[in-house]
Amino acid sequence: MSLFSSLLTPQLLEAAVRLSTPVTFATLAAVVCERSGVTNIAMEGVMLVGAFFAAWAGWITGSPWIGVLGGMAAGALFSLLFAWAAVSLHINHVVAGAIMNILSFGLTRYLMMVIYGRQGSSLALAHTLQEYKFAVPGLSLIPYIGPAFFNQTPLVYLSMISVIVLAWVLKRTRLGLSIAASGEHPMALETLGRSVVKIRYTAIVLSGVLCGLGGAFLSIENSDSFTEGMSGGRGFIALAANIAGGWTSGGGFLASLFFGFVDALQLRAQSLGIIRIPAEIFLAFPYVATIIAVAGLVKRSRPPAAVGKDFKAEGGDE
Amino acid sequence: MKRFIITFLALALVLGVGGIAQNAAAQAKPYVAMTTDTNGLGDGSFNDGVWAGLTRAQNEGLVKAKVLEAHAMTDYVPNLSGLAEDGAQLVFGVGFLMVDQIQEAAKANPKTFYAGIDHYYDGAIPPNLIGVSWREQEAGYLAGIVAGYMTQKYHKSSPLLNDKNVIGAVLGMAIPPVERYFAGFVAGARSVDPKVDVRYIVTGTFGDRAKGKEAALALADQGADIVIQLAGLTGMGVIDAARERHFFAIGADVDQNAAAPDYVLTSAMKGTTMSAYILTKELVAGNIKGGVNRVFGLAEGAIDIAPFHQFDSIVPQEVKSAVTKAKADIASGKIKVPSTVAELGLKL
Repeated sequence: MSLFSSLLTPQLLEAAVRLSTPVTFATLAAVVCERSGVTNIAMEGVMLVGAFFAAWAGWITGSPWIGVLGGMAAGALFSLLFAWAAVSLHINHVVAGAIMNILSFGLTRYLMMVIYGRQGSSLALAHTLQEYKFAVPGLSLIPYIGPAFFNQTPLVYLSMISVIVLAWVLKRTRLGLSIAASGEHPMALETLGRSVVKIRYTAIVLSGVLCGLGGAFLSIENSDSFTEGMSGGRGFIALAANIAGGWTSGGGFLASLFFGFVDALQLRAQSLGIIRIPAEIFLAFPYVATIIAVAGLVKRSRPPAAVGKDFKAEGGDE
Repeated sequence: MKRFIITFLALALVLGVGGIAQNAAAQAKPYVAMTTDTNGLGDGSFNDGVWAGLTRAQNEGLVKAKVLEAHAMTDYVPNLSGLAEDGAQLVFGVGFLMVDQIQEAAKANPKTFYAGIDHYYDGAIPPNLIGVSWREQEAGYLAGIVAGYMTQKYHKSSPLLNDKNVIGAVLGMAIPPVERYFAGFVAGARSVDPKVDVRYIVTGTFGDRAKGKEAALALADQGADIVIQLAGLTGMGVIDAARERHFFAIGADVDQNAAAPDYVLTSAMKGTTMSAYILTKELVAGNIKGGVNRVFGLAEGAIDIAPFHQFDSIVPQEVKSAVTKAKADIASGKIKVPSTVAELGLKL
């Protein structure tokens, strides 16, 4: 029994929150994009590009806050490419997303050599967001969840705030309702004189900003430089988290938290020697858990009616 | 007109071939070449290491050296064969992932010697192919000695250390080179104190920095004050964790002190440069032998641990002497370092 108490420690929950933060950003990006009717599998690539430029901006200016802005801008601009391909050029959304992922890997490797003259990791930032870790007074004292959720670094807090803001935007603002409509019945939106193209572009750029923040977390908050391939498949986990969360902001957050928790759990369980099984079985835990969650929840989870379907406005004035 | 063109082309061909023949004759120096893996030059590790060995020989006037960078796995065979066709007498192929391609190229170009870096071939080896691998367990052993002493007996040397006698290792995947490093590390630490507690985590990836950091933090939470990274780019996360949580990291493959000078105690290194240089010199001397697996270690000067840099003053003389003695004992064969975890009663 003491082995379990050494496993279920407060640090485990703190690690879970930390591990889930980039996935949360990517999941929110998936939510906003897919709700607008655009299937987005490019979170992985946009996050990687965001991570690269956040590291570059932070390194060249010496300020990690500029780095955050750099990551957001890079995410927005890179996803504009995706928006143009999927919405304006009417390329199949999945194909366009796959192209973005391939492009992101090549682009970051190329720029790595051009800017830093080396492979592997970029040069380290003088200051990272890790220096700005702070505890929220009061809330951080709640037993167990206090230190885990409320004694963290800036982008972790921002991810939780984004969950709430996005939920509110989608339900209570005109933009949000337009996004939802664009994904359910775009023709109705067009009939009312709102441009589906503009809405989808906006949603995609928003998702780019969110992915950029996820990337920035990876390179300038969780580490001090960019490492090739550092998005590590999190963009794809976000796809599953989005489905498991029923295409909602809060649901997506819980799903990505679940994944982060199981991932943190398996890492710690390995080294405690609770059971002597091959490490690969531990490593598979989070993905198996995700499959079970998605398989179990997908029946109750309904995608936006028009997601992935190309939209052509009739007699379009765009 | 047609006749003129044909005559012109024939003349150009004869002169061209004659030119090549002349060129070949002028190439009195042996020609040694390499193809990188898809990481290319600038990786700070294998590719740079092997190229440094070739350029060292070139700078000493021994050979002419050339490097081709591969951008995709489909470049491997064209590069390997192309260099042979270009006249290279010894061609290095870098990286575990080139194992099949280099055997293909070796069979297609039997007159050229090929050396596969990080390769160990089972079964019949083509007579012109050489597998190059290292006894990483020897480097791990030396690092383990340092860790074993510093974590307990000398834990007062630094505020980064505690008295729990726990050290850690973060592994990428349980592939042979990683297992060798790890087996040596455990053996080295246990040679100092058989009761040392070595905790380890396999992350399953060589490219996920955040995961490496979480693994190292998990080990630190369990009391580890020295964690060795055996996980490539994932291992950069281990160094991140050491920097944030204030404990010692040990690097691998090359000297990684620069990644965090205040937290990287030393690194377990394998000398790709030295091995490439040794093989090149054998080609020049005419006594290079193909069809074998060459395994390099301390005895050949191709294994070491990195200098302690700013920790040189806090690492006690006893530790440094123990390392020196171990090097001599391993090189002379007095100590045989385990190369698999099974020999230690562990399972990965």
